Amino acid sequence: MLELTDVHVEYEMEDGGAVHAVNGVSISLEKNKILGLIGESGSGKSTLAKAVIRLLAKNGDVPEGSIEYKGTDLTELSDREFRTEIRWDEISMVPQNAMNGFDPVYTVGNQIVQAIRTHEDVSKGEARERARELFEQLGIDPGRIDDYPHQFSGGMAQRAMIALALALDPSLIIADEPTTALDVVIQDRILQTLRDLQQEIESSVVLITHDISVVSDICDEIAVMYGGRVVEHADVETIIKEPRHPYTLGLRNAFPDIEEDDQDLISIPGTPPDLVEPPEGCGFAPRCPFATDECWDVTPEPEEYGDGHIVECHRADEQELLTEEAKRKETWMDLETEPQQGVEEADD
Amino acid sequence: MSLKKYVVRRIGQLIVTYWAFLTLLFVVFRLAPGDPTSMYLQEGLSAEEREAILARHGLDQPLHVQYVEYMAQYLTGDLGQSFRHGVPVWDVLVVRFFNTIILMGLAFAIAYLIGVSVGAFIGWVRGTRKEKTGIVVTLIARSSPEFWIGILLLMVFTFYLGWFPSGGIRPPGTEYETFLGRYLNWGVAYHLVLPVLTGVIYYMATPTLLMRSSMINVLNSDFIQIKKAEGIPEYIILYKHAARNSILPMTTVVALVVGMSIGGSLVIETVFSWPGMGREMVESVTYNDYPLAQAIFFLMGSLVIWMNFVADLAYVYLDPRVRYD
Repeated sequence: MLELTDVHVEYEMEDGGAVHAVNGVSISLEKNKILGLIGESGSGKSTLAKAVIRLLAKNGDVPEGSIEYKGTDLTELSDREFRTEIRWDEISMVPQNAMNGFDPVYTVGNQIVQAIRTHEDVSKGEARERARELFEQLGIDPGRIDDYPHQFSGGMAQRAMIALALALDPSLIIADEPTTALDVVIQDRILQTLRDLQQEIESSVVLITHDISVVSDICDEIAVMYGGRVVEHADVETIIKEPRHPYTLGLRNAFPDIEEDDQDLISIPGTPPDLVEPPEGCGFAPRCPFATDECWDVTPEPEEYGDGHIVECHRADEQELLTEEAKRKETWMDLETEPQQGVEEADD
Repeated sequence: MSLKKYVVRRIGQLIVTYWAFLTLLFVVFRLAPGDPTSMYLQEGLSAEEREAILARHGLDQPLHVQYVEYMAQYLTGDLGQSFRHGVPVWDVLVVRFFNTIILMGLAFAIAYLIGVSVGAFIGWVRGTRKEKTGIVVTLIARSSPEFWIGILLLMVFTFYLGWFPSGGIRPPGTEYETFLGRYLNWGVAYHLVLPVLTGVIYYMATPTLLMRSSMINVLNSDFIQIKKAEGIPEYIILYKHAARNSILPMTTVVALVVGMSIGGSLVIETVFSWPGMGREMVESVTYNDYPLAQAIFFLMGSLVIWMNFVADLAYVYLDPRVRYD
């Protein structure tokens, strides 16, 4: 349903250079699926989502690649066509902080009615009735549609935001870290509600997050982003149990597992790559304990390892070795002390 | 907090402010050097005559008695007798007060209407040539002195083109029966054009620049992104969401600036020979006409106080969050 092919996103800088925030992403999403897009800050996950719904900052651009949605290339549409045919009708979004997602001077119900009436020729009364139904579906008292956003609690505002996102039964919902600002219990409940409603209206969801435990609960597939590329993409089971990319292995280490006790959390040393002039070779090589000369020189191409499990890594075939090694803290610690190629080279 | 409670509390604050203001006014005028007789001393006023004049104005009483009398007088709406004109202060001021209000009220209304719209627009088109041009023009207007703008307008439209009169409020010799009739006629409108235009140019810059920076803040909010994602047309987002939110911090500023600038009307009134309160204020101070000067300060201060009150109440309607602070 959504098919991204070799998408690049650039942000032009004042000095004439450009930040290559997304660097050739190809990924597809089927109907009625939830795709978790994970990665650290600056990995390009939000930028990718914004490119899809055409909300990039003024200096942002998609110079290459196609974003195909239900057979139409979204990059070919005019602004007007995109606004009237795609936005909210087809693709809606849920922002990170729902409190700021509503205009503070209008009631929540008013804003839902406005969204409905922008796209459908219905009376105010009908639109209001639909807003009430949406509230009910999300477990909010329908009487509260006449409240202002600041009268809502954080969790309720997020539910109302989801109600707004569902108002026109979109086929795709982009949720950008929708529960990051909430406590864990509410987070879980809201994600479950989102999941249930998504199944009901048969839409797809792209769930952006940096929290691997959030996505593992409700997603069907996970795509791991690093340095503007999708480095690993597979169904949830595979990503959680048998990842092949060292970065995914590292990410897994950085989050606690409730079922195992006495575990040290291991973080991945180093910083995200330079996106202004991305160097040759694998973007993760400077932080990767398994990097070989090949990794520094040749950018790995995506390769498939059985049933839709796509990995961009030269050593992805050595899965068992990598998995064992990645569990040891020393593997990652050593890296911090060892001289790093590339960075050090310049001083020679 | 309920709306009623808020209004009641705000009225309480208004009363306290008025008391403080009146007291300050009293103190300032007792501290000022000289008394009403000092102007006439050269003319050889005898000691007895001087005492008599002071007694007539109650100035021979101890200060606390004067204070109580002064408060009672102002509370009943009596602004006192003018030393110089020998008639009640209100009779001197009533016409001039409304002359000034008409002039400045009109100038401000237009200046803020244009300023807010232009500011919203240049905030919206941030980073373009239009924004830069807008800022430069605004800054030029902002840094030109009022009297200079006035003189330029007079030069072009009166002496060069001959379209508008050079000063005054209405054609000489015209009389009007009713209060409204005094102002609602073409003669006054014709005389108003240039002084109002001067005020508009001078006072437009503040709302323009404030509105622009306010817009830039609001445009960075998440909800603007969401409204765009909802597919709402840009112009609706501009005025219904961006401008609507940006105007909130403006209300307070407007109240303050409007109140204070009534005093600033002096310059425009002088350039265009407008018979307003600003000029009367200068004259009353020059002639040591204390009751008159005091009353003018009182009226100007009152405007500031009331404008703030109105702004605070307006805020309640403009911003639903204030109701529950």
